[in-house]
Amino acid sequence: MLLASFLEPRNILFENRVLTKEQLYQILVDRLCSQYKLPICGSKLMELILQRDEEVSPAYSTGIAIPHIRMENFNDTLIAMAFLQNPLDYNGIKVSWVVLIITDKTSSKLYLNIVAALLKLSNDKEAVADLHNTGDGHSVIQYLKKKEVEVKKDVTIADIMVQKPIAVHPENTLRELINLMCMYRVAGMPVVDATGKYIGEVNILNLLKVGIPDFVMMLDDLSFLASYEPLENLLEKQDLLLVNDIMATDEKTLSPETSIIEAVFLMFTNKKRYLSVVKEGKLVGLVTAMDILTKVIAV
Amino acid sequence: MLLMIIALLVFIVTYLCIITEWVNKMLAALIGGFVIIVLGVVDQTIAFSAIDWNVIFFLIGMMLTISVMRETGMFMYIAIKTAKIAKGSPLKIMALMFMATALISAILGSVTTIMILIPIVLLISEELKITPVPFIITMVVASNMGGAATMIGDPPNILIASATKFTFVDFVLNLTPIILIIVAFSLGLIWLLYRGKMRVSNERRAKIMEYNDKNLITNHKLLWITLSVVGLMLLAFIFQKPLHLENATIAMAAGLILVFVGSRKKVETIILNDIDWITIFFFIGLFMIVEGLVHTGFIDLLAQGVISVTNGEPKTTSMVILWLSGIFSAFVDNIPFVAAMIPMIERIGEVITDPVQIKPLWWALSLGTCLGGNGTLVGASANIVAVGIANRNGYKISFMDYTKIGVLFALESVILSSLYIWIRY
Repeated sequence: MLLASFLEPRNILFENRVLTKEQLYQILVDRLCSQYKLPICGSKLMELILQRDEEVSPAYSTGIAIPHIRMENFNDTLIAMAFLQNPLDYNGIKVSWVVLIITDKTSSKLYLNIVAALLKLSNDKEAVADLHNTGDGHSVIQYLKKKEVEVKKDVTIADIMVQKPIAVHPENTLRELINLMCMYRVAGMPVVDATGKYIGEVNILNLLKVGIPDFVMMLDDLSFLASYEPLENLLEKQDLLLVNDIMATDEKTLSPETSIIEAVFLMFTNKKRYLSVVKEGKLVGLVTAMDILTKVIAV
Repeated sequence: MLLMIIALLVFIVTYLCIITEWVNKMLAALIGGFVIIVLGVVDQTIAFSAIDWNVIFFLIGMMLTISVMRETGMFMYIAIKTAKIAKGSPLKIMALMFMATALISAILGSVTTIMILIPIVLLISEELKITPVPFIITMVVASNMGGAATMIGDPPNILIASATKFTFVDFVLNLTPIILIIVAFSLGLIWLLYRGKMRVSNERRAKIMEYNDKNLITNHKLLWITLSVVGLMLLAFIFQKPLHLENATIAMAAGLILVFVGSRKKVETIILNDIDWITIFFFIGLFMIVEGLVHTGFIDLLAQGVISVTNGEPKTTSMVILWLSGIFSAFVDNIPFVAAMIPMIERIGEVITDPVQIKPLWWALSLGTCLGGNGTLVGASANIVAVGIANRNGYKISFMDYTKIGVLFALESVILSSLYIWIRY
């Protein structure tokens, strides 16, 4: 299925006025309500959309916002979108493309796939710029047809993963690793070589382990020990040891085609909350349990 | 004859695999055990009936008991308390740790004791900023000595107990006295070797005194239950004969009660982690391999050989067994050796029929195998485990590093054992 097949030229707007989020939503809602018979419409629908916005922010870091409403007894999926000259601010995320989706309560899978297709598209900076430049709904649909943007039947890891994740090199020192972890507030990251080839992973526990000798791990109980110097030794060693010395090279990885359920399964069986995504030996992404929660479950 | 050669070859190849660690010992023993059957040395029924279930279930029962005992924190408590009682003085810590290790080994066995105590001693020596190597070596020595003191301390004794029907009390009466003497002499040897060699600052000493032992035993109820059950177990061992209970029954009863009362919710973890299945199946394979040697008459041949050398004279035979097993155990795993020696001594027992005269042979076998293990780095499992832990923590102990100390203690203890057996029996 092509994404273009779900779109109508008259529901695609180009807006160059300075609008508030509410004003924009109102315009999109009015468009849809004037053409289709919806079970809920007008101010009631506006209320639902805004309430939903409060619960889960519809904005993504790629600059797209996808507010949506699921209605009972509405056997259809409607899409209205607006390209904005003046971006809206969603709690710090600048959004210049807003897509309103109204769908049936039961059709979550199709909805997820549309969202996935939109997210993937929004990642492609060039395509987004092209879409902004088309200027009218017909051209947008033509462009999407030409680009063969598909709505897949099943969501895979490629749709929800973070692309080009932060990664370290094996020759980075632990100090550099600590700085990266603190800067991005991540507890683990993939390790790649200079060509982007996936080598392994390093996480905060590998790092802390440097400060704890093997024999301490063998003790049954540590309650008798109030302070212990070797933990402080981690600081001394941070310039001497490299990521290569502490990284794990036997971690399970995913391919972009992996299904969501398999990813969750692997998170459970490997007791990990994030997995690297590798394609033909190269690191292409990272998926976290939080990605699954925010992009699959809480949508 | 051909079958005897096959049986012997399987035994030797298995032994070589175990010594060189080329194959995991359990795998080697099981392969050997079934090769014996496949090649028709013995049939499956005979091989299986050679498995000493009294030993197998005794081991499992003790492993269950130890798992719960360990959970109470009592051993950590003893270790930390020992360091504090020594007031951070290295020589005192070494002497007290030596005694604590011997004592705990007499109950838990040498390997378990080493696995609990060596990490603690590494920690203490790191805090005192002194090398842990002398501590590790002397504690290994102590663990092998302590294990020899009781029926439950070391696998050779467990095997001997099951084969001879000697009771817990027999072991205490015959082995514990000589081990106490050996430990006393060893403490003297430690004083000679290490006095004045280790200096520690007061500041470092104070750190050890700061250890808080209050939280090591958190579950007092579990501690009391455990101590009561272990106490009852020891009583049952002491009154084993009037109670008509075998070792395996007593150990399994204690182990099952403790797991049921103390760790019911963690049974699966205990079965998976705390029962050393490698050892259990190693024994099972070994029993089958040794049965090949017995069934084909090799052991008879060996027994006749020993008797022709010693003229069946009990004292000389004891000395031969003591020194032979002492030297042998210093270089190779002593369990297969004991497993093969047991049927041999049983055959000798058909010649030396007086039970009073045959007894010292068994004690000689026990003392020789357990104490000889101290001789070199590879003489006993506890040695290998301890040095493995030390190496992983950056303290390299070479074969010679260990052996030049270990051999002194091995010689000292085998000489004392010879005198003991010579004079007492």
